[in-house]
Amino acid sequence: MTVVQVEDLVTGYDRKNPVIKKLSFSVKEGHFVGIVGPNGCGKTTLLRSIVGLLKKFHGTIIIGNHKIENLSRRELARRVAFVPQLMEPVEGFTVEELVLLGRTPYFDRFSFENEDDYDAVTWAIKELGVEKLKQRSIMELSGGEFQRVAIARALAQEPRLLMLDEPVSHLDIRYQVKICKLLKKLRAHRSIIATFHDLNLASRFCTRLVLMKNGELIAEGTPDEVVTAQNIWKAYRIKVTIQTNQKTRRARYVLLP
Amino acid sequence: MVRKLTKTEGWLALAGLAGILLLVILISLLLGSVIISPRDLLKSEILWQIRLPRVILAALVGLLLSISGVVLQGILRNPLADPYILGISSGGAVGAAISISLGANFVVFGISSVPATAFFFSLLAVFIVYKLSQVAGRAAPETLILSGVALAAFASAILSLLIIINGNLQAIYFWLLGSLSSATWGNVITVIPYALLGGGTAYFFSKELNALLLGEEMAITLGVEVENTRLILIAAASLMTAAAVSVSGLIGFVGLIVPHWIRLMVGPNHRMLIPFSAFSGMILMVAADLISRTILSPMEIPIGIIMALVGAPFFLYLLRRRRVEGK
Repeated sequence: MTVVQVEDLVTGYDRKNPVIKKLSFSVKEGHFVGIVGPNGCGKTTLLRSIVGLLKKFHGTIIIGNHKIENLSRRELARRVAFVPQLMEPVEGFTVEELVLLGRTPYFDRFSFENEDDYDAVTWAIKELGVEKLKQRSIMELSGGEFQRVAIARALAQEPRLLMLDEPVSHLDIRYQVKICKLLKKLRAHRSIIATFHDLNLASRFCTRLVLMKNGELIAEGTPDEVVTAQNIWKAYRIKVTIQTNQKTRRARYVLLP
Repeated sequence: MVRKLTKTEGWLALAGLAGILLLVILISLLLGSVIISPRDLLKSEILWQIRLPRVILAALVGLLLSISGVVLQGILRNPLADPYILGISSGGAVGAAISISLGANFVVFGISSVPATAFFFSLLAVFIVYKLSQVAGRAAPETLILSGVALAAFASAILSLLIIINGNLQAIYFWLLGSLSSATWGNVITVIPYALLGGGTAYFFSKELNALLLGEEMAITLGVEVENTRLILIAAASLMTAAAVSVSGLIGFVGLIVPHWIRLMVGPNHRMLIPFSAFSGMILMVAADLISRTILSPMEIPIGIIMALVGAPFFLYLLRRRRVEGK
């Protein structure tokens, strides 16, 4: 089942000079899609457009069976959740309270959180393995802990599509791997789209990759199909050779001397 | 670790605050230039006609300013925001000064000329600030705050001009300092709907205010209609503040320190913040009014002076405590 379908998308901040220039791809349920490409290629812009933070100029974005413009913000928020690169920590909130904010699209005007909401919060906290931090203050968490809490908050939205902007770029390698493993696990019953700087990391954990340059698609497919010397030359203008990791059977690039 | 109140503890704490409020109100009713003995409480003319409306009005003004402060700090995402940040006080001051200068004497909907013009000009000021800040249908918090500052400067010039031309310095100045000395039952009745409607709106938008703690964009991805929410809440906060200003003049610091103080106590969740701030604001104002009438009795010190004298050092203390705890 297709969770999100993007067709001929043109978007950006200036109509005359769009960041994304006609881009199409689709994501099926159960996939963990990595969006990669050089700095400024429009990875974040693409994400912002799919989560409804940026209006599109042209093309269609279909979430489930609905065109994005036909969904209200609340309806969209129940289907798509977003974890920004750096979420502001809220001083004075505990982990549990922060995760509960993820239930906002389910609250009615004259009522507050109910059993369902607490169940979703408990479930999200458990999925991310942060039960022990539940009552801790947000301000006391390390970068890696906070990122897991931020993802739990998005997961509490019970989205069909979870979008993350650079979820690991400010973390140490231990947490980079940990978060990637978690995301890979979480892709069941939903889809995940995340932007990455580290092509090898994305290749190692994602089920599919989208390689972009200047707002256009260079390659899309399985990591093996995307991570080729030719594609990397096209996108980054650097010469590499490709090795396949014997254990993981995933392609990774190695810089040429 | 942050110590969090459980639901039961939260209700108990609120009940405790309500108890303190009743106690402070009772003391306020008994004390004053004439001391009423508890035995004569129910048959005292002073009590029914003068003290009771005044004490109730003080409480209502405290509630209005505190909730308005919480709401504005929340939607503008600025800890320095207070009920007057969008130009309400400046507008109200000009309105009152015009009315006093012209010696206007009319009554609309049971409200006399000074409060009525102050109310109208307060809202006019916010309306101008909001409209000036709107770019492509969106009023950004920073622009709103800066427009408020600009309008305040402009209004202050007009105010000075009015004072110089008319020479009503004392009357205008007294109004600016804030006072509840002219409280009537009429005032109480006009203000009550603002307290109920404004407070209710703020409370039922606490989910949106909480989502906004994460930033405007995160709130949008959580399904919050940020623009509408901001418009509704600015309108609610402005009506509440304008109502308070029209009956009591400019009483500073309540709307600034109460939300900060309560945030330190119960955390940033608006569902707690709003009711706790409401009660604390009421207690603070009733107590401050009591001090203003009794400390130099029979002379009365404008409550605005008391609030600033106590409020400013207390605010600094809160800031320091926050910094120390943040370490």
